[in-house]
Amino acid sequence: MSTVQVEVQGLSKNFFDPSRGEVRAVQEVNFECRGSEIFGLLGANGAGKTTTLRMISTVLQPTAGTARVLGHDVVSDPVEVRRNLGFYSASTALYPRLTARETLTLFARVNKYPAERTRSRVEEMIERFGLGDYAGARIEKLSSGMKQKVSIARTVVHDPPVLIFDEPTVGLDVLNALDLQKAIQELRADGKAILFSTHIMSEAERLCDRIAIIDKGRIRACDDLEGLRAATSQHYLEDIFVHYVTGEDTTA
Amino acid sequence: MDWTATRLLYLSELRAAMRERAVLINGILIPLLMYPLMMWVMFSGILFVTARFESFASRVEIADLPAEHRGLLERLEEDEGRIEITEVEAPAGTAAAAYREDVENRLLAAELDAALIFETVVDPPGNAEVLLLSNGSSDQSQAARGRLERALSAERSAWLDRIAEEHGLDGADWQVFEVRSNNLATGRQMGQFLMGMMIPLFFVIMIANGCVYPAIDSTAGERERNTWETTSTLATRRIHIVTAKYLYVATMGLVAGTLNAAAMVVSFRSFLGPLLARMGGGGGSGFAFELPLTSLPVLFLTAVLLGALIAAAMMILAAFARTFKEGQSMVTPVILLVIFPVLVLNDPSMEFSPALAGIPVVNVVLLLRQAIAGNVLWLQLGITVLANGAAIAACLWLASRILRVEEIATGSFEGNLFQFLRQHWRPAGGKA
Repeated sequence: MSTVQVEVQGLSKNFFDPSRGEVRAVQEVNFECRGSEIFGLLGANGAGKTTTLRMISTVLQPTAGTARVLGHDVVSDPVEVRRNLGFYSASTALYPRLTARETLTLFARVNKYPAERTRSRVEEMIERFGLGDYAGARIEKLSSGMKQKVSIARTVVHDPPVLIFDEPTVGLDVLNALDLQKAIQELRADGKAILFSTHIMSEAERLCDRIAIIDKGRIRACDDLEGLRAATSQHYLEDIFVHYVTGEDTTA
Repeated sequence: MDWTATRLLYLSELRAAMRERAVLINGILIPLLMYPLMMWVMFSGILFVTARFESFASRVEIADLPAEHRGLLERLEEDEGRIEITEVEAPAGTAAAAYREDVENRLLAAELDAALIFETVVDPPGNAEVLLLSNGSSDQSQAARGRLERALSAERSAWLDRIAEEHGLDGADWQVFEVRSNNLATGRQMGQFLMGMMIPLFFVIMIANGCVYPAIDSTAGERERNTWETTSTLATRRIHIVTAKYLYVATMGLVAGTLNAAAMVVSFRSFLGPLLARMGGGGGSGFAFELPLTSLPVLFLTAVLLGALIAAAMMILAAFARTFKEGQSMVTPVILLVIFPVLVLNDPSMEFSPALAGIPVVNVVLLLRQAIAGNVLWLQLGITVLANGAAIAACLWLASRILRVEEIATGSFEGNLFQFLRQHWRPAGGKA
C-alpha cells in the first residue's frame, strides 16, 4: 500500500462577502490521498471543490484545519508544499508571450528541479506530450488543444509526487478531454498521488479510485465506487450523487 | 532570499516584455526616437520656411530717396535673397495723400510687398522721416519689411557717423547711449543651461511612461490573463515573485529614461545646435551641447532612483486593479504627481538646498539639473539617495503588505488603495 501523500483534516474556509456576509465555503473537510491513486472530489458548481484544492495548493489560506503535502503544512511551509505539487486548473493559464520550451524551463527551474537535468527533462516533456513542432512557438499562437498539453507538461515538469487537477476538462472538446484523461491515468501509473475535481459523473467514474461527494462545503460521502454503491444501493454514480446531495432515491 | 527564483522570474518578465509591442513602443522606441524625430521635423521645417523666405523676390517701392542715402540700395541688394526695387518720386501737395492711398491699396492687394516713403527734413542734409509700410498678414510682406528694417538701421547708423565726423566728433561720442552686450557664458555653459531646463521634464515623463505598461501588465494584466494563479503556485515565496516583478518594472523605467536622455543629448547636438547657430542664438558663443563625463554616473543614478520610486508607487496602485483598464485609471495619477514638481522647479530661482534634497522626485530633478551643469553637490546627493531610498523602502513595504492580503492577491478585493487602507489600518487595528 502506498504512503499517504496528502492529508487533510478539518479544513475550513470562510469568506466575507459584502452582500451575503460571512460565507462558509468549505467546512471541516477530511480526506487523504496516496501515491498511485486518483482521488476525486465530485460536486456541483459552487460546492467547494476549487476552494478546497486552492487551499491545498497554498493559493488560499485555510480559516481552520490543516492540510499537509508529504508532511509539509500548507500554512507554515508553503514553498515546500508547492515544490512537491503540480496544480492544473482551467483558471491557471499560461504566459502567452513565452514559448512552450521557455515556460517548461521556467517552471522546472523555479520549482527547484536540478539545474543540470532541466534541459533533458524539458525535452522529455516536449517529447512525451507531442509538443516537438510547437516547442519554439509562443503560447499565444497555439491552439487550445496544444495549450492544454503545455499546461499539463508545465504541471508535471518538476516531477512532483502530488498533482492537482481542478476541473481540467472544462471547455475542452471530447478528443482533447480523452487525451487529458489518458495523461492523468499515465501519471497515476507513474506513482503520482492525484487530486481530481469534477462535476462530470462519467469522468469521475472512469478515472477515480476513490470519490468524495462534496456539497455546500461539506463532504457527504467518501469511498471507492463499489463502497458508494453498496452504501446507497444505487448503481450509477449520478444516482449516488443525487442520493447524497438531495437525499432522494432516484430508482424509486 | 531566493535570488535564483527572483532572477529567473525577472528575466522571464523581461523576455516576455520584449515581445510585447506596447512595451517596445512606450519603453524603447518613443524614448529613443521621439526627440531625434521631433527635432528633425523642427529643423527641416525651419529650413524649409527660411528657404521659402529667401526664394521670395521682395517687391519694394522707395519714394523720394535722398541722394545722401543712395547707399541704402546697395545694402538692400547685399542682403540675402532677391529684391526688386522701384524708385519713384512721390507727388507733392494734395496728390501726396492719393499716392499714399494707392501704395496702401497695392500692399493690401499683394501687388507690392513693402514701401518706404522718405519725407525730407531740410537740415542737416539727408535728415528724413521715413514711413515704412507693409502688410502684417502676408509672409512676403513681413519678409520684405524685415529686410528694409535691417538695411535702414545700418544706413541710419552710417549716416549718423558721417554727420558726427563732419562736426569733428567720433561716432562713439555722438552715439553716447550705446549698448554693447557681451555674453560671458561659454557655448558649453549655454548648452548645459538649455539641457538643464529641458531634459529633467522629459526624463521624468519618459521614466513614468516606461513604467506604466509593465506595472499594469505585471499585476492587473496577470489577473486578466488568468496567469496570476499559475504564478502563485510556483515554489517560491510571494515576496520573491513581487521583487522580480518590481525589478522588471523599475528596469523598464530606467531603460526608458536612459535612452531618452541619450537621445535628447544626441538630438540637441545634431539638430538643435546647428539650428540655433543658424538662427544666431546663444549670443556670440553659440551653443555646445556636451555633458561633462563626470556627470554621467550621477545621471544614471537619478534614472535608477526615479525608476525605482515610480515603479514602486505604480505597483502599489496597480495591485488593486483587476483589469488593464482599471490599472490605467489607477496608475495615471502617478504620472501627473511626478510631473508637477518638475514644472514648479522650472523657476530658475530655485536653489538645490539640503532641505529640498529631502523631498523625493524634487531632489532627483534638482540633482539631475546640477549634474547636467557639471556641478555635483555631494551633501545634496547623499541626502537625495537616502531620502529616495527611504521612500522606495516604504513603498515596497506597503506593496508587500498589500499583496499579502488574500483578497488582493486573488483579485477579489473590490476597491482601491484608499479603501484598502481604511479597511485594514483602522485606528483600533481591527480588520473589516
